[in-house]
Amino acid sequence: MVLNNDSSKPIYIQIAEWLETEIINGNINANEKMYSQYQLADLFNINPATAAKGINILAQHDVLYKKRGLGMFVQEQAKDQILLRRKNENLKQMIHDFLQEADYLNIGDQELMELIEKVKKERWENS
Amino acid sequence: MLAGQIVPTSGEVRVFGERPFNNLKVSVNSIYVDDQMNFSLEMTIKEILTAANMFYPNWDQTLADRLIDYFGISIDVYHDQLSKGKASTFNAIFGLASRCPLTMFDEPTTGMDYSVRQDFYRALLKDYMAHPRTMIISSHLLNELETILEEIVLIKNGSCILHNSIEDFKEFATGLTGDEESIQSVVNGEDIIYRKHLIKKQVYNVVGKSLSEIEKRQLSEAGVSITKVDAADLSMYLTSETKGGIDDVFTSS
Repeated sequence: MVLNNDSSKPIYIQIAEWLETEIINGNINANEKMYSQYQLADLFNINPATAAKGINILAQHDVLYKKRGLGMFVQEQAKDQILLRRKNENLKQMIHDFLQEADYLNIGDQELMELIEKVKKERWENS
Repeated sequence: MLAGQIVPTSGEVRVFGERPFNNLKVSVNSIYVDDQMNFSLEMTIKEILTAANMFYPNWDQTLADRLIDYFGISIDVYHDQLSKGKASTFNAIFGLASRCPLTMFDEPTTGMDYSVRQDFYRALLKDYMAHPRTMIISSHLLNELETILEEIVLIKNGSCILHNSIEDFKEFATGLTGDEESIQSVVNGEDIIYRKHLIKKQVYNVVGKSLSEIEKRQLSEAGVSITKVDAADLSMYLTSETKGGIDDVFTSS
């Protein structure tokens, strides 16, 4: 992966998301050692302090745990935890954007529900 | 002044706890690299490196040799025979290989090609990680090296106007594009650090504070688009004399 420096997402968030994806894809398994801040800094050509900030986000979400003197390791339930949180956060954001667009277009709740049903039906017919 | 090249006219500067001017301890433990570095006209590149090896206690000859070789710098010529780009590259190598606890680069990439600059930034990062030390870099090409930085200092007219971690700096400002009244209903005028009039009532404003989720929502619901402000642009706005930049020059009063 190449970091996107122009993205509105800060580099350390992109690092955190990349690490999560590594866990989801099974490139790092439960109870295995997480990459160190220096490995990440070298890999992405970033300052090690930025890399550490990315790793810390995962630690804050309890995806990683610390072994004294050995570094960060992947939590047993890490994968499920990440998937659950992504579902909650991403889906909520999408619904928010969706409702905002509906407001612009002056679409009421009734019409909105009808629209959802209509699209659902179209999907069902197409599959 | 930190490098002991100029005597302060007032106040006091201390490096490693000592006054840097005419100070051997500071000299061997610090290096100041810029495009006007003076090397003896009597010495070839090879001889300069040999002398540096004797002077700097942490000097890494292997690193110097490998970098000189990688960047294709001839060691049998005199420093003033190097092209502008090659001289800058040599100075940068000299700065890295000296491994001084205080390493200062003043516009080190002047004259370097794009690819050489990228290689230099990477060499800088790798050597910093292998041998952590204080490195201060001044550059006008913030976009190119912002990812390898840890902290940023902005200087305007000789005084420090900002010193922050690079992440906080990048999140410090927000760009807002939309109707002027909608923006002003949410954002305090004092927080605006840059404004540009677009078309009709549309403006682009840069605000120097992080917006709360509620403020962001209010703005986006009023049709104002919220964008990230590039770190280099932000430094430009903060160090500019006016709030409208170059456009102000062309605006008839």
